[in-house]
Amino acid sequence: MLRRTDILNEPVKHIKINGRLTVDELIRQFGNSGSFGAGRLSTACDIYERMLRDDECTVFLALAGALVPAGMRSLVADSLRENRIDVLVTTGANMVHDTIEALGGHHYKGHWAVDDFLLYKYHTYRIYDLFVPEEDFIKLDMKLTEMYDQISDEYRGKRLSSREFAWELGKRLKDPDSVLRAAYEAQAPVFMPAVRDSEFGYIYNLHASRRDFKNTLVVDAFKDVPEIIGICRESERNGMIVLGGGVPRNTIQSAALATKSGIDYAVVVTMDRAETGGLSGSTLEETVSWGKLKGAADKIMVPADAMIAFPLMVASVVERLGKNFKRKPHRKSTGFKEAI
Amino acid sequence: MRKVKAADSEKFCGNCTSHNAYEYPGRVFCTRRFLRNKDAVVQTLWHCEDWIQNAQECHCVKDAKEEQK
Repeated sequence: MLRRTDILNEPVKHIKINGRLTVDELIRQFGNSGSFGAGRLSTACDIYERMLRDDECTVFLALAGALVPAGMRSLVADSLRENRIDVLVTTGANMVHDTIEALGGHHYKGHWAVDDFLLYKYHTYRIYDLFVPEEDFIKLDMKLTEMYDQISDEYRGKRLSSREFAWELGKRLKDPDSVLRAAYEAQAPVFMPAVRDSEFGYIYNLHASRRDFKNTLVVDAFKDVPEIIGICRESERNGMIVLGGGVPRNTIQSAALATKSGIDYAVVVTMDRAETGGLSGSTLEETVSWGKLKGAADKIMVPADAMIAFPLMVASVVERLGKNFKRKPHRKSTGFKEAI
Repeated sequence: MRKVKAADSEKFCGNCTSHNAYEYPGRVFCTRRFLRNKDAVVQTLWHCEDWIQNAQECHCVKDAKEEQK
């Protein structure tokens, strides 16, 4: 039975700021306070550190929401290149924005309180307080239509998984800051389970229309399923970091369920709530009920803006691991090796 | 029904429904031409026989005319 002294055994330590505080020192102070979002963020850093120190763990990153256009592009690319992420599962849109920048386009700081019809008249799109010029999408459409033509001519009707499709794009992009390029160089799988729900889907229509829907690129979403299950199955342990949620989160969880093993480590950073029944806000306890996450998993949900929380997490954990820490990549997918 | 403004009544690629920005404001991208494998980047103040009035106005024609002055 729990005794009163078990409950009241760790006093809150108050946060002290001085001019020399590093990111990890601040995060550890968050942990010492142990309270509210600060405590949760500190626990998330502890779990991420344990994932990276576990030689048998494959680390999945689920990316949803417009994080790449907002400034997380290089962080994700570097995390792939430096083996802090083994497998990326992302919305198609994030990779669209990655490709826009790889082709010379930009995202601009804007404001949320603007006349949106004026933006429309100036062919400028808004993502909350970011602006994207329409011409950058158009240049993407034109260039990627060419790439789709090349890929479909090479594959000649052979079906590509979204991972193979991402790999083919990364091969053709030269920008070292690109997520797709970094994944290609690091031989890290990138899955885009809802790839058609992005500009990639619209570009398919341009590519296919121009050749009367004959000999077109064929991306098969179902082909992803055995590939990602294979990665989970071949891994002793699986860890996931979720930024946002949605389809990328469930893709990882369902793969773990299919292997009957469940996820071992989980960090979910989201602003979504559980009460609506949507997956993004669903609690990790709910995930346990499906068998997607182990009951004894090392897990935490951080209700925070991922643009704030994830860079802090990475900075803190990189500081803890030190410069000499080298992690071997966990990329055992047979399908992936075959594609290379 | 929306009144047709004087500027709209002039036929330009920049007020055609098939246009998108390409090099604002001087050149636009024409989806229709692109789908037909024709050169899709055209002058904002040009037009072809397939011109269809854009349902919502934009500043392409106005700004292209100003740039031309």
